[in-house]
Amino acid sequence: MADDKYNLKNPAVKRILQEVKEMQSNPSDDFMSLPLEENIFEWQFAIRGPRDSEFEGGIYHGRIQLPAEYPFKPPSFMLLTPNGRFETQTKICLSISNHHPEHWQPSWSVRTALVALIAFMPTNPNGALGSLDYKKEERRALAIKSRETPPKFGTPERQKLIDEIHEYMLSKAPPVPQSSPSQALEENSPKSEDEAQKSSVDDGAAPASESLPNPPAGDVIVERVLEAPVNPNPGRVSVRAVREVPPTSTSNQMLQTRVQKPADDRLFTWAAVGLTLAILVLLLKKFMKSSGPGAVFMDGS
Amino acid sequence: MQNQEGLQADGEVKSATSVPATEFDEWANFADNDIMQQHSAIHAEEAEKIPYVADKEPLSSLAAEYQSGSTILLEKIKVLNEQYASIRRTRGDGNCFFRSFMFSYLEHILESQDQAEVNRIKANVEECRKTLQGLGYTDFTFEDFFTLFIEQLDSVLQGNEDSISHDELVVRSRDQSISDYVVMFFRFVTAGEIQKRSEFFEPFIMGLTNATVEQFCKSSVEPMGEESDHVHITALSDALGVPIRVVYLDRSSCDNGGVSVNHHDFIPADSNLPNASGGKTFSPFITLLYRPGHYDILYQK
Repeated sequence: MADDKYNLKNPAVKRILQEVKEMQSNPSDDFMSLPLEENIFEWQFAIRGPRDSEFEGGIYHGRIQLPAEYPFKPPSFMLLTPNGRFETQTKICLSISNHHPEHWQPSWSVRTALVALIAFMPTNPNGALGSLDYKKEERRALAIKSRETPPKFGTPERQKLIDEIHEYMLSKAPPVPQSSPSQALEENSPKSEDEAQKSSVDDGAAPASESLPNPPAGDVIVERVLEAPVNPNPGRVSVRAVREVPPTSTSNQMLQTRVQKPADDRLFTWAAVGLTLAILVLLLKKFMKSSGPGAVFMDGS
Repeated sequence: MQNQEGLQADGEVKSATSVPATEFDEWANFADNDIMQQHSAIHAEEAEKIPYVADKEPLSSLAAEYQSGSTILLEKIKVLNEQYASIRRTRGDGNCFFRSFMFSYLEHILESQDQAEVNRIKANVEECRKTLQGLGYTDFTFEDFFTLFIEQLDSVLQGNEDSISHDELVVRSRDQSISDYVVMFFRFVTAGEIQKRSEFFEPFIMGLTNATVEQFCKSSVEPMGEESDHVHITALSDALGVPIRVVYLDRSSCDNGGVSVNHHDFIPADSNLPNASGGKTFSPFITLLYRPGHYDILYQK
């Protein structure tokens, strides 16, 4: 970066250069942001889709404009990668991320704002300007797509920066958790139904719908990805299957390199929860049977 | 606020000229922009009326303001006249308390050449720096403001290369890139002090808003243009160890029909000023005139 091009007496320039330095010396796995070489008031950034959301694994590029009065006036943010949460090429309304422009303060920085933006992605847009309310599957599909190529935007120099940031983020961001839900459903639902029936028979025909009213809807499957194997519920069992069978039909090889460790932890948690639920259901059933006519309300199930 | 359409039109013109970068058209047209424009339009209108720090005026100019108004106020101004010679107005942009304090303090150092006081306040400023660091503020977000204040402090002391005259102090106080930085320095100091002693300030803040101490600092102390009241004044006075007298000019009158002007002295919590406990003989070297919603500087006879 050619520092001497800028008037270091200009407090905004001084501050921005400090932020660049700080950004480079404390890199984050969640985001990356750097100014263009020819204009330090124009930055490119990429953020990683937040964990445990439909954006997980996505790499979302955008640009930042710092005002001449920075840090007294807030930076502006704009996304370039289609994401299903914010419109692209439209300034993101900072008000919705609790960073009201009239309350912007110099103690915030590009870093603060990017962290806020990531945290804001999974929230409900509530019809805010520039927000989109795509379905989770659509967002997930966009998250997968976002990894393939960075957006094409601006001058060759800017494009080079975008590409560099993309490479960096690819090396940091674990892939999208699983193949698209519809594929998973087709592949696994027959098997899961068998298994479900078997398990129902095994433990005395407990109607599975009792604890989960809508069985294998795509949405539910994906949400319950890490459900416990012991749960006598078709929807959940099918999900379990998805987790065990590697996603063969996916074009994206990186899906298989997913880090397993956190998933395993969560698996155990869900296993415990599932077991508890099953025991509770059984106990409840026993209690209902023993209390005879009192169990009228069980008819519905 | 009354003439919103006119203001917004002004704001558009203004922002069109102040935007630094080229490819910026698509950033416009947004809610944040409207808010910002309105803000800057209001400030622009205010700026035409009065600089950040105006020239010294005789107290009679204050009386002229109320010529056709309240007799109580005119009576009170007469009382003020006995003790005070002149007034220096500051811009009503929400920063008037900090701006008045800035000018009044630096002017006092310039006139008194009190090296001991400078050394004392520098030690306090160091403490404030540590306070902010302890509260988790990132260094680069506040250090520019600290540096700039120390520079001003050094330059009002004569005998250095960078020493400035009284005229130059006035010029600097009207220069946004210096004046706003010093104001922001005071805002950081104030926010740090309030949070450091949050147990002490909490009840006062609860009385003003429903916010927590931290929220209060984020929404009412750190952002530029947020007005100050006794919480801010107490915190700043304590943090820097500088006593402040605030003279109140409002319509309240005494029960016996007589007119007197109230004042309140903000004495730093841990101050060991020789006369502080003596009461009447003590008078802070910073005296501000408060009229509901605004602070100006008062000069004693």
